[in-house]
Amino acid sequence: MAEKLRNITFAQAIRTALRAEMKRDERVILFGEDVGYYGGVYGATVGLQKEFGEDRVRDTPISEMAIGGVAVGAALAGYRPVAEIMYCDFLAHASDAIVNNAAKWRYMSGGQFALPIVFRSPGGGGAGYAAQHSQSLEAWFAHIPGLKVVAPSLPRDARGLLKAAIRDDNPVVFLEHKAHYTFKGEVPVEEEVIPLGVAEVKRAGNDVTVVSWSKTLTFALEAAETLAAEGIDTEVIDPRTLQPLDIEAILASIGKTRHLVVAHEAVQFGGLGGEIVAQVAERALDSLKRPPVRVAAPFVPIPYSEPMELRVIPQVADIVAGVRRSLG
Amino acid sequence: MAAKDREQLLHFYEDMLRIRFFEEKVRDVLLPGKLFRGSSHLAIGQEAVAVGAIHALREDDLVVSTHRGHGHAMAKGLDPRSMFAEVMGRKTGCCRGKGGSMHLSDAGLGFVGENPVVGSNTPMAAGLALAAKLEGSDRLVAAFFGEGALNTGAFHEAANLAALWQLPVLFLCEDNLYAISVPLERSSALQDLERRAEAYGIQGQRVNGMRVMEVYEAVSRVAQETRERSVPSYLVFDTYRFEGHHTSDKQTYRTRDEALEEFRKRDPIHILEFEMIDDHTVPIPLTIEYRDRIRAEIDEAFEQALQEPWPEADEALAGAYAEGGE
Ligand SMILES: Cc1ncc(C[n+]2csc(CCOP(=O)(O)OP(=O)(O)O)c2C)c(N)n1
Repeated sequence: MAEKLRNITFAQAIRTALRAEMKRDERVILFGEDVGYYGGVYGATVGLQKEFGEDRVRDTPISEMAIGGVAVGAALAGYRPVAEIMYCDFLAHASDAIVNNAAKWRYMSGGQFALPIVFRSPGGGGAGYAAQHSQSLEAWFAHIPGLKVVAPSLPRDARGLLKAAIRDDNPVVFLEHKAHYTFKGEVPVEEEVIPLGVAEVKRAGNDVTVVSWSKTLTFALEAAETLAAEGIDTEVIDPRTLQPLDIEAILASIGKTRHLVVAHEAVQFGGLGGEIVAQVAERALDSLKRPPVRVAAPFVPIPYSEPMELRVIPQVADIVAGVRRSLG
Repeated sequence: MAAKDREQLLHFYEDMLRIRFFEEKVRDVLLPGKLFRGSSHLAIGQEAVAVGAIHALREDDLVVSTHRGHGHAMAKGLDPRSMFAEVMGRKTGCCRGKGGSMHLSDAGLGFVGENPVVGSNTPMAAGLALAAKLEGSDRLVAAFFGEGALNTGAFHEAANLAALWQLPVLFLCEDNLYAISVPLERSSALQDLERRAEAYGIQGQRVNGMRVMEVYEAVSRVAQETRERSVPSYLVFDTYRFEGHHTSDKQTYRTRDEALEEFRKRDPIHILEFEMIDDHTVPIPLTIEYRDRIRAEIDEAFEQALQEPWPEADEALAGAYAEGGE
């Protein structure tokens, strides 16, 4: 029987997940700048304060250090906070709480405490917000033992993964793409929980594997269509969760296609493309027919002006070129 | 009124009009025409603070600003053409198209720049002031910020340090009542914002930010003290932003009437015009002449910037690092 589907935006997907989890568990609380009365600068929390009250949905002052730290405290005392940091660039401010406290308290205490926190935060560029409001920082957090990192691309993933992240007993950095909130996609009417750490094949193919996430994944899917017209059959894999990373799914795909491209918006140097390529090299170098290719941003901040920003942020054509390069 | 005062008032008037017309052009032409990318944070309504405060500084004093900094930039001397070019992403903009509206700067003019990371400019101001002090210069540093920034750790660390090290910083808080959607009473435990640096021994003062002369006089007073004694000062300006927080602000947190009513009663440019006309400093036709002249100047700057070249895409790849070093 075909699933019943409906079409919603990425922002609606986030909101639906938050609402469902708040109904399901009254220990889920929400706070951040402008998330309450206003409903979030991207509309992802519209109506939640009205429905759940000002105790559970709180506007904070512009105090990212406190937002992060309060989330840690509330979680230690048994709540399940979802804290929003308005731009992922300002996760830098909250990083003491996230990196030094949330990520380590359980371990340092010999397992006495759980830290069920979600730090939601939009990242990414493409809209002319320039260097301090456009970064893609998933690698910072994926590097920290104790944290999980999720970077959904489609509304269905956003909804299902956010539900899983809220139910997880660990701190999760949940990165949304700010230029993607109005992106529409189909979700099953019946709500689902998508487990963390499980990749999905977004498009099956036999000639080359493209691993990509967040907004860049939609570019990879477009690139796959362009390449199909040339007779190149691209498989597109979305890890969805970056920490933990479902490397088995990637290896399985490469076993079939024998070619690897990783495409992401973050800068290439030290980006997660390097980690994926390294793990593949360690475990399956022989299955690769050609050197792997990374399609990622050059080592510069994000510029404001459009022609320059388009040069820095990987586009569909860059992925197409990367795939051609990988095929030789 | 003395001729000198009249001249000064007209100078303020001219600078306020220039900022207003620049931002109206952004609002009415650049944004709808998609000539502007990202977020625009207009300071329409806050011109008296920028102009009054910056005119009270010396030319070699430094200014750090915020996301809402078009007015600060222009009052510090950036020319409208290079600002238009920058916000339209042109190669000839003051930051070569790399920064845009939230990152205007001009090293030569002592406009260290806008810093849209709320609160972040205040410790920077302390560092700039430390350098002045170490050099034995009596230059000072003015940091503008919104009342929302008072809730950042950065502000409190900076204020304490500036007081402790006796740094010549002017902390200039523009209280426009809202931080995006969040009104003051929902973000600050203490409503008397002028007292928020008291714990560091910095006595703040509240100033009517809609009257340019009052701003000018207040800043002149504290600047003198800061310069002579090398101590930080702190002023809070009552002001209001008549536009939304940024381009896509739905403004559900206030009524349309509130903003219109504020505009009718408190527009700093109208207030200044009425005062000048009322006490016969300036005849009405002269204000019209000023308006026409400045508007034409802004129109011309815009038209010029519009013809200017785009950067090459590859210019993006240069400039992240300085060449050389010592
Ligand atoms: C550290 C940080 N947190 C959040 C933001 C997002 N943000 C941009 S402007 C703004 C409100 C600022 O309010 P205020 O300081 O009062 O200045 P105003 O916008 O009223 O001029 C917020 C929350 C930011 N730019 N920096």
